[in-house]
Amino acid sequence: MMLNYFDQFASPIFLGVPLIALALTLPWLLFPTPSTRWLSNRLTSTQGMFISTFTQQLLLPVNKGGHKWALILISLMIFLVSLNMLGLMPYTFTPTTQLSMNLGLATPLWLATVIMGLHNQPTHALSHLLPEGTPTFLIPILIIIETISLIIRPLALGVRLTANLTAGHLLIQLIATAALVLLPLMPTVAFFTMILLFFLTLLEIAVAMIQAYVFVLLLSLYLQENI
Amino acid sequence: MPQLNTTPWLMILIFTWFVFLIFILPKVMTYIFPNEPTLKNKKTFMPWTWNWPWY
Repeated sequence: MMLNYFDQFASPIFLGVPLIALALTLPWLLFPTPSTRWLSNRLTSTQGMFISTFTQQLLLPVNKGGHKWALILISLMIFLVSLNMLGLMPYTFTPTTQLSMNLGLATPLWLATVIMGLHNQPTHALSHLLPEGTPTFLIPILIIIETISLIIRPLALGVRLTANLTAGHLLIQLIATAALVLLPLMPTVAFFTMILLFFLTLLEIAVAMIQAYVFVLLLSLYLQENI
Repeated sequence: MPQLNTTPWLMILIFTWFVFLIFILPKVMTYIFPNEPTLKNKKTFMPWTWNWPWY
């Protein structure tokens, strides 16, 4: 069976241990649990600063009822950013390339916002299905379109993260293979391919952070609509 | 695409939420952001610090 470029995303099993289990459990060693001391070490202080700044920024447009979602949204952000960034290192497995995981994170959280909105303030939640100022004859079709766009949100959230990371990893692998193959044949072209690979890796680092941020931001947006 | 093979989907879902809820949530919850200590002669009352509100 020939190995193809997509096989890097099949979760490998080594000595009976699926590596996705290691990829999911080990990154949290990089995040020390802070003690109750007032002054902690540099790593804890840096992470605390990141968490407090990010919480403030994320919850700025959300009203007081949404603040109880802070813990889960910030934890999700840390979860996704560390998994994405660690996956860019060679020979690591990125769990966020698995559609199962992204859908599994997106669907319950989106569903929670929808159920909360429909339970607590059903009129307000349903009013989002009709944008203000639509012409009367467009109302029925627009309601259908808005309902479809509401249902498709968790799918979009999951697939966006999966596709971005999968495509990034595939591109890196393709261009790295090209550079390697071209090295004995056309060294100058291989050199330019290496420069391209360098910039692509920088882009992938940015994409890793941005996609995690977009995931959490969109969830907070859905929360704003419904809380 | 191997991601579309649905065999490991349930295990990945359960394991992801397990790791998320058991390891990461408590770690983030222990981050506290205490205020700067106030001087004794100040008459202001203690402001409220972010304590990851739950309700």
